Amino acid sequence: MDYAYVFKYIIIGDINVGKSCLLLQFTDKRFQSAHDCTIGVEFGSRIVNVAEKGVKLQIWDTAGQEQFRSIIRSYYRGAAGALLVYDITKRTTFDHLTMWINDLRNYSTSNMVIVLIGNKCDLSDRREVQKEEGEAFARDHGLIFIETSAKTAVNVEDAFIKTAREICNKIDDGVFDLTNEMCGIKIHHKLPNENPNTRRNSNPNQTSGC
Amino acid sequence: MALYQKTIENFETLLKCDIIDLNKLKTLAFNGCPAENGIRSLTWKILLNYLLLDRTKWETHLAKQRELYRGYIRDTIIKPGLTPTSHSDIVDHPLSSAPESSWTAYFKENEVLLQIDKDVRRLCPDLCFFQRKTDYPCAEIMKQETGFESLRKRIASTSLKVESQTQSRLTGRLEFLSNKTLSQKKNNSSNFTSDDGEYEILADGCEAHWEVVERILFVFSKLNSGQSYVQGMNEIIGPIYYTFATDPNIEWREYAEADTFYCFTNLMIHIRENFMKVYDNSEFGIRVRMQKYTMLLKQTAKDIYDLFEEQHLKPEFYAFRWLTLLLSQEFNLPDVLRIWDSLFADQEQNFQFLFYICCAMVILQRDQLLNETQAHNIKLLQSYPPDTDVHKILEKAVELKRMHVN
Repeated sequence: MDYAYVFKYIIIGDINVGKSCLLLQFTDKRFQSAHDCTIGVEFGSRIVNVAEKGVKLQIWDTAGQEQFRSIIRSYYRGAAGALLVYDITKRTTFDHLTMWINDLRNYSTSNMVIVLIGNKCDLSDRREVQKEEGEAFARDHGLIFIETSAKTAVNVEDAFIKTAREICNKIDDGVFDLTNEMCGIKIHHKLPNENPNTRRNSNPNQTSGC
Repeated sequence: MALYQKTIENFETLLKCDIIDLNKLKTLAFNGCPAENGIRSLTWKILLNYLLLDRTKWETHLAKQRELYRGYIRDTIIKPGLTPTSHSDIVDHPLSSAPESSWTAYFKENEVLLQIDKDVRRLCPDLCFFQRKTDYPCAEIMKQETGFESLRKRIASTSLKVESQTQSRLTGRLEFLSNKTLSQKKNNSSNFTSDDGEYEILADGCEAHWEVVERILFVFSKLNSGQSYVQGMNEIIGPIYYTFATDPNIEWREYAEADTFYCFTNLMIHIRENFMKVYDNSEFGIRVRMQKYTMLLKQTAKDIYDLFEEQHLKPEFYAFRWLTLLLSQEFNLPDVLRIWDSLFADQEQNFQFLFYICCAMVILQRDQLLNETQAHNIKLLQSYPPDTDVHKILEKAVELKRMHVN
């Protein structure tokens, strides 16, 4: 599928909230609870259709373990969207959101679109954080809010696409300086007669077409 | 093949000496330890400073160390397990939030234990070894009465407590859940894994290898409270335990647990900085190690270094994991074991050789890297082609080292 833009996303949040599972569900449409722990960062991508445009999402899934936090900050730079995830069955992961928001504000691009995700909503009988609390937090901090389940795939698609739509709106409003690559958005320049072979042999220095 | 036989002989001759020549052993091990006859298992124990070079002292040394480990098990698991609720101090109670409350410590420990549990249950899922029953479950724990709170019980009750906290008003829910969980576990015990791919618990009286690893990590975390457990340590301990627990010699295999504990602890002395944020900027901290790697890449493959600079492809994006986990997540277990032979043989220089291996890995992908975009390159380095011949990588690394040193 062809695409007009490339957006860089990061997924952040406490350990075991389901960040890697959200990414896997979004890119591969499957759930795997027993995966390797994320050490540092892992990378995934998928092309989606947003506002009648193809957009390639490049998603950076980060480690949640506290000891790795200072390394995680080096992944924030140049991201247009952030998925900030907590676990609705674990109160402490919600309590740490302010810390994550502060971190984002200090180390990322100013126009970043942040979506707050309450994950594991399939486990509603173990819920410790009410949906209203998530909504209120999102409202207070100007975030988009959505509850998801990486296990059953509920709202996973939506979470990624809502973020992309909001970024598209901001592009239309001229909020981003698209000439600055640190905004996390790249315009995909199509090459004449594009086919896989010409792309492979094209100038390696070109930043588009990834 | 004759060459391989010769290697085995060389190892065996060396390992039979009363005083083992460490330098000779390192030279041999650097080129790969045969798995035959428990050679790797024995060599690693020496290279990781667990076994003394004087063979005549082994027997007493091992007896002492293994008894000491039994003592750690008694102090960290048996005693707390026998008196799980005997916190007699009246001021102290489960709802106390005072940091010095023994309950606070108990709950904190449970958090660590649950994390270890989650991580070891996903250890090498492509290999059925860790799900299998060990022939040497911990005797001290197995002989305890039914009232004893084993780690297995502690994990089960902690996860149930979490569920019941919000659900206590629904009467019967807890009983229902625990019965359901128990029957599920019984049903699945022949299948080993649940739907999610996580390891299941074996019947009473049996222990799976992953449970042994879990216990070692728990003991380690309690004895090293300043460091505790950090994700990734599971990936470091896995290959060591596997090597010791598959030793063909029963007298070694039987003590795989205690021996792994000491070798893992010794290895962590060298790489603990990788797992501590306070060390990030210190001489051996992970940031400095990444800089050292980058400098070496600049000297050995300037074209790739320049491209990475231009693409803003930082070592944080891929080499962080390579260096932190000593490449254990990048390759299949047999290849990891081979790489670690060389690393442990080189360990005096604080795994200097690891930088050369990382550069070799990058250089072997030169053609692809130079023709691709940043995103493609990150993906390539993050999921390094598993069919790459690890011997080629090591050969290249040796070549780079030789060139660089000259």
